[in-house]
Amino acid sequence: MTFARRIISKLSPFLACLGLLAVWQLAALWLDTESFPTAWHALRTVPQVLGDPEQLLNILDSIRRMAIGFSLAVAISIPLGLAMGRSARVAAFFNPLLMMIYPVPKAALMPIIMLWLGVGDASKTLVIFLGVSLPVIYHAFQGARAVEEKMLWSGAAMGLNGLQRMVRIVLPAALPEILTGCRTGLVLALITMVTSEMIARQSGAGNILFNAMDMAQYDTVFAMIIIIGALGIVLDAAFDKLRWRLVKWAEPHQEILLGAS
Amino acid sequence: MQVPLRPETDTGSGVTSAHHRARAMIEIDRVSKRFETSGRKSHLALSDIALTIDDGAFVSILGPSGCGKSTLLYIVGGFVAPSEGIARMKGAAITGPGPDRGPVFQEFALFPWKTVLGNVMYGLRQQGVKRGEAETQSLRLIEMVGLKGFEHFYPKELSGGMKQRVAIARTLAYRPSVLLMDEPFGALDAHTRTRLQNDLLNIWERDRKTVLFVTHSVEEAVFLSDKVVVMTRAPGRIKEIVSIDLPRPRVRAELLLDSRYQKYVVDIERMIDDGRDDAEHS
Repeated sequence: MTFARRIISKLSPFLACLGLLAVWQLAALWLDTESFPTAWHALRTVPQVLGDPEQLLNILDSIRRMAIGFSLAVAISIPLGLAMGRSARVAAFFNPLLMMIYPVPKAALMPIIMLWLGVGDASKTLVIFLGVSLPVIYHAFQGARAVEEKMLWSGAAMGLNGLQRMVRIVLPAALPEILTGCRTGLVLALITMVTSEMIARQSGAGNILFNAMDMAQYDTVFAMIIIIGALGIVLDAAFDKLRWRLVKWAEPHQEILLGAS
Repeated sequence: MQVPLRPETDTGSGVTSAHHRARAMIEIDRVSKRFETSGRKSHLALSDIALTIDDGAFVSILGPSGCGKSTLLYIVGGFVAPSEGIARMKGAAITGPGPDRGPVFQEFALFPWKTVLGNVMYGLRQQGVKRGEAETQSLRLIEMVGLKGFEHFYPKELSGGMKQRVAIARTLAYRPSVLLMDEPFGALDAHTRTRLQNDLLNIWERDRKTVLFVTHSVEEAVFLSDKVVVMTRAPGRIKEIVSIDLPRPRVRAELLLDSRYQKYVVDIERMIDDGRDDAEHS
């Protein structure tokens, strides 16, 4: 009974994917236009795209920029958010700045950034960096602010100084919240990666997608959408697995017992 | 060297004064605490508190909520600075928290990302004790507070009473000279509360650490303490200090039938009621 249920719960994402592809296939057959290839056609094009060394290098370029932008953003945003959460002065200094940047779509900054840094890696990585930073800062800030004062006092009584309390109490206590921000950041990194490449067309997954669009290679367009979508799903699932390992202590306890058994 | 005539007002040299007050562990010397609130108003939480706590004594601070009793404990802990006056530990002015004063809070304040063992070991590891040695000592403490078998559980998986046992073990682990207990059993149900009171007394009987214990329960204060400091509400002042002259080790079932215990409880309850009348009439 529970075994069957576990198999169903493991299979359900695949079933959902299959369902979606089936709907696509039927819709494409019914509409029968050139700009909407069937799911089968699009899927068959995926290995062709990935098999082409130039296209593959383009996609790997995108992933590299995304990884660098994401890592830099996380490395800077976590300490900044934590400092803002624990110090009213730091928060008062950075808050107005962040409030101004927050509602601006980061891709809208792309033209200015391109003007300064050119159309190469630097601009695209910077836009990804900006896209990832804000949710991570926000969640690190909220997480740090919610840390119980008494927990910090307990640490102080054990002899931890201010910096040690920050690294060894505030950081782990805020980690569940921080990782929620990172997960949002990861998806935003993928989005800004594609948009930056469609604005500064030079290389990358977004570039392939829009070049194919211009040349009416609709099979390739849909194949790229599948590839980017799959990349997003895999990254998100992998990140969630990592998050689960890091903060299982914060999850409801029956899940921990399940994990241990 | 000249011996000071009135060592209790000597704020200077710790060595000579410590010698003269060999039995005084904590001295609270005319401490007041004023909290700045919105605008120009401020709230006087503590007014002119003077209290000496002897080495090895179990002293409770008892009072209605809002009388500043927790604030007084935080001042001794070094978590909060007094507005006036000074608190001293073994003759030296308290300027901040330190491992010689171990707090136990009503909210437990455990580290949720650490297991029971990890929490109890934390202070020892911080003080440079090797992992193996810290683990051995911590396991012994966990057994002493009755949590053998739960070493690898996370706080989230424990009941309130168990969490507080962990918190007590975590604080005892780094061997503070003074335990500062801030309504430690206030969040627990009556049954758990009684059991923890008994266990705390048993643990205390072994090494007779100095304990400063904040509570609003008269029975709890009388049952546990050598001295009960009764406070009045806003601003918090000491109304009376009652010495509890009951034999130890104390057994709850016997004490409840003991007329001396009953008299202490009734007397102290009356004092608190008087205090409330004062506040209401003024």
